[in-house]
Amino acid sequence: MAPLQKRALYSLGIGVVLAIALIMVFILKGVTTFDEDLGFRLIVYALWVGVPLAYLIIVNLTLRKPEQIDERDRLIMAKAPRVQYLSVLFSLVAWTIALTELYWDKGQVPVIYLTLIMISALIISTISQSAGILIGYWRMGRND
Amino acid sequence: MIKVKNRIRRLRFDHDEMTQEKLANLAGCTRQTIIALEQGKYVPSITLAFKIARAFGLTLEDVFQYEETT
Repeated sequence: MAPLQKRALYSLGIGVVLAIALIMVFILKGVTTFDEDLGFRLIVYALWVGVPLAYLIIVNLTLRKPEQIDERDRLIMAKAPRVQYLSVLFSLVAWTIALTELYWDKGQVPVIYLTLIMISALIISTISQSAGILIGYWRMGRND
Repeated sequence: MIKVKNRIRRLRFDHDEMTQEKLANLAGCTRQTIIALEQGKYVPSITLAFKIARAFGLTLEDVFQYEETT
C-alpha cells in the first residue's frame, strides 16, 4: 500500500468516526439545543474543526515528504476533487430536499440549519477527498 | 486499444536481481509505482520511462514497447 493511500485510509476512518459522532450528538441533544447550550456548541465546533485538522495532519504531512509520493500519487491526487465536488453537490441537494419537505408548511427554516449545512459541507468535502484518493488507487489497480 | 508493455521485471532479474526498492530509488519514484508498472497497471510519464531505462543503462524502447491492438 502506497504511503499516501495508507494516510488517506486513516484520514477517511477518522473523518467518518468524527462525522458519526457529530450526527449522534445532534440526534441525542436535538438540533435546537445548539442555540441554547454553549457546551453543546463547543462540542460541535471541536468536531467540526477536528475532521479537517485530522485530514491536514495525516495527508498533507505525507505530501511534504517528496520521497513518499511520485507522479502516480500526484495523478491520483489531481483526480480526487471530482469525487469531492460531486459529494458536496449531492449533500446540498439532500439538504435542500429534506429542509423543503420538512418546513414546507411553516414557510421558514430555522437559522441553525445554515450552520449545519456549512459544517456538513466541510466535513463531506474533507472525507470525500480521502475517498477520492482511495477510489483513484482502486481504479488504477484494476486498470489492466 | 493502445497498450504499453514493459520488461522491467525481466530486466531487474538480469541486473543481479535488482530490488524494486533500488530501482525506485534510481528512477525517483516509489516502490508501489514499480509494482504497478510490473503488473501493467500503470503507464509511466515519458520522464519516468526515461529514468527507468537509464537505471538499466538501456534505451526507452529496450524497456517499453508500444502495442496497438484492435
